[in-house]
Amino acid sequence: MNAALRDRLVGYAFVGPFLLVYAAVMVVPLIMGLVISLHRADLFGRREWVGLANYSEALGDPVLHQALGNTAMLALLIVPPLTGLALLLALALNRPGRFAAVLRGVFFSSLVLSVTIVTLIWRFILTPDAGLIAEGLAATGRAPIPFLSDPDLVIPAIAVTTLWWSLGFPVMLILAGLQQVPGDIYEAAALDVANRWTVLRRITLPAIRRTLLLVVMLQTAAQLQLFGQAQLLTGGGPGGASRTIVLYIFEVSFGRWELGYATAIAELLFGMILALTLVQYWLVTRHEEPRA
Amino acid sequence: MRLPLPGLDLIDVCKSYGDVPVLERVSLSVAPREFIAFLGPSGSGKSTLLRIIAGLETADSGEVWLDGERIDPLAPGARGIAMVFQHYALYPHMTVRENMAFGLVNAKVPKDEITRRIAQAADILEIGAQLDKKPGQMSGGQRQRVAIGRAIVKQPRLFLLDEPLSNLDAALRGRTRVELAQLRQRVDAALIMVTHDQAEAMTLADRIVILDNCCIQQVGTPAEVYARPANAFVARFVGSPPMAMLPGVIAGAEGGRVQVRLAEGMMLATAVPAGGLVAGTEIEVGLRPEHVRLAAPGTSGAAAEVELVERLGDRTFIYARLAGGAEIIALEPGFGTVRPGDAAALVIDGEAAHIFTAGGAAHHPEPRG
Amino acid sequence: MAWTVLLSFKSNAALMADSGAAFAPPWTLENYAAILQGSLTLQWLANSLIVATGATIGVLVLSSLAGYGFARLEFPFRRSLFVIVLLGLAVPEQAVILPRHQLFAWAGLHNSYPGLILPSLTGSFGVFFMTQYFRAIPKELDEAALLDGASRFTLFWKVLLPLTWPAQATLGVFTFLAAWNDYWWPLISATTSDYFTLTVGLASAQMNYAQTSGLGFLMAQAVFASIPILVVYIAFQKQIVRAMAGTAVR
Repeated sequence: MNAALRDRLVGYAFVGPFLLVYAAVMVVPLIMGLVISLHRADLFGRREWVGLANYSEALGDPVLHQALGNTAMLALLIVPPLTGLALLLALALNRPGRFAAVLRGVFFSSLVLSVTIVTLIWRFILTPDAGLIAEGLAATGRAPIPFLSDPDLVIPAIAVTTLWWSLGFPVMLILAGLQQVPGDIYEAAALDVANRWTVLRRITLPAIRRTLLLVVMLQTAAQLQLFGQAQLLTGGGPGGASRTIVLYIFEVSFGRWELGYATAIAELLFGMILALTLVQYWLVTRHEEPRA
Repeated sequence: MRLPLPGLDLIDVCKSYGDVPVLERVSLSVAPREFIAFLGPSGSGKSTLLRIIAGLETADSGEVWLDGERIDPLAPGARGIAMVFQHYALYPHMTVRENMAFGLVNAKVPKDEITRRIAQAADILEIGAQLDKKPGQMSGGQRQRVAIGRAIVKQPRLFLLDEPLSNLDAALRGRTRVELAQLRQRVDAALIMVTHDQAEAMTLADRIVILDNCCIQQVGTPAEVYARPANAFVARFVGSPPMAMLPGVIAGAEGGRVQVRLAEGMMLATAVPAGGLVAGTEIEVGLRPEHVRLAAPGTSGAAAEVELVERLGDRTFIYARLAGGAEIIALEPGFGTVRPGDAAALVIDGEAAHIFTAGGAAHHPEPRG
Repeated sequence: MAWTVLLSFKSNAALMADSGAAFAPPWTLENYAAILQGSLTLQWLANSLIVATGATIGVLVLSSLAGYGFARLEFPFRRSLFVIVLLGLAVPEQAVILPRHQLFAWAGLHNSYPGLILPSLTGSFGVFFMTQYFRAIPKELDEAALLDGASRFTLFWKVLLPLTWPAQATLGVFTFLAAWNDYWWPLISATTSDYFTLTVGLASAQMNYAQTSGLGFLMAQAVFASIPILVVYIAFQKQIVRAMAGTAVR
């Protein structure tokens, strides 16, 4: 066997196992989903070809529009502050020493909790009857605020919950990025008498822009799929004020059993996330040299 | 067909990355136990050539033979070649002993033989006390020895060294240079070293292969490449400070030797045979610093203005500009008193001058009688 | 967090009266006793451990192999395949979970450990993460090993893989975490209580005991479900930070 052919086979031998599983459990369902979305289908096996009807229904569905607005709002309220906060924390924690190490551990520990537990905790912080905030307000003689039942407050409440829960991972990623910045760049900057703000803006941020891009891309994709917090904190209420797209998909499939319509919305969401991710990637990398 | 000859043979090796050629029809023969240096500026293809010999890159065409066996189709590990990498490439998670044993275990060398070879190499390199350390716990110089040790235990037919001294500080570099010279006495193999440092190449190598612009420019002993550079590139590249190049015109011949008129109008009688050099041809005259000196007080010489003075203690290099604008470098013994800005009269030893024609071809002076 | 732990040790009656009481004694173990009384709790715990461990090992093996392949080997369609894998990061779980449910029903994989584990193995992040980590290892090491006569597999197994230990720890912990905390897939895939994971099982118990359970019980449940992952997390924290810092390779 010639060497070039053998090299190729070795390559496929290494990536093959993952690709097989990926194809079977990811790509096949994705394609099945596309096919199902062209049918009027339910969970009990009924299939009827309807072409793009599910998609045209989705475009005119006011509930979906509301869910889309909610989801976009949540993503806007979560991704930029999350990135900013994570950057600040990472900058603060990027130093040797026991104290910083302990703090790093504390911030990462919220990662460990499942969505059920996170929402449990925050329900008892936010709830107007005997919640932590309500107790605090009562102590100062003010009325409790119904965070989870006021249509204007429910989205920020979910956003704060999510921020608290999701902070650990971006902090970790950015810390990793920061530690890869070579130290001599900072020494050179110190010799040039650059102040801290200049150092941050001209040296640190450009050096970790790929990391920041990764954080924003992952978080955007994750927050557009926000589901558990909304489902468990509010069930999408009041009056759909906190219904997210994925929650709607869940309702359509497991509440109304309309599998075809649910997958059609899911495919639309997939397209949206994909497009957003690509745009973000393009925006950040268009000035860079193409990498071989 | 070729005869199975000992040593390394490269035949018409070509390599390009996409449209960018890196090596064009490179051929070379290396004798057994010879120490060769690949010398050239960065981008000259010297590292690529080394990597093709090692099998880390594949040539687009051409053949590589080692001791009568064609090795270019073989896997890197099957060629009987050992290499010392620029950054040592020691396996960080293995001890020194494991690092040295790794290749032998892969080659299924018996265990007691491995132990014996490692002990021997550790002895030679004086790293016996470090055998159970990991590379991260060692200094740069020690890591270099381990890297060399890992190559020695394989008992290769050919040693490759990629910029072996570039990662060491100046003091360590001098010592390691001596060690490398000793190493070649001890190993029964040819050595090829890639370097961009000509002092390294000059001190260590039996022959220097000078590469530039995808091609071998000259192959020769250190003395040859210094005294008889094959072309203007080699002339400029070898020697520190480099050979000065003065523009001039062939004025004629006298006694079979070329007379040159420099741009300043000054006539220079050289010892270059006139054959093939026609009067009126524009050429460059190459002069090493040791062939230019300050005129003794009261005597005449070419007028020049001193621009820079490099005092090395025992000798002084004087960088000057002739009246016509050409740069020239003179060498004076001792510390000297000349200063930048001074006017100087220079005496040029025309009989040592080299002549380079427009194509870069070299004409050397006849040896002095 | 601390509050959660404190609450879990309070009797429900006391908490009914005043949620602020958490910060004062008396504390009690009754909530934990109640959890263990559910006859299947230990079975669920075992299920969770099996599923999370299986997912972790699977992801580590597949991602390491693929990461090395994508980072170091040349083969046709390497770049396109890598992009296809990365696109997986953008696929919302809801877009595949329903068809996947049907697919697994057809394959008879529901109510089985493979059925619970397999979806975890499709994670693109692991491959991306390992690919980046392998790329950061100096290529000189590969070349030295090749010259030392190592095969591609020996090179992977003996030279490079030991250097990715911090990355393995990090990816392993994240995978373990995600599999442990996963709720919706085990909820729809495991329909018989024998195959419930702890997360699903406790949630179902929570529904059954809806009347009797109070805040303290819920919190005890939360703590109980979190203990194993906390242990895992704390045990590997050092490696995680080191891997993320990428300082392990010199």
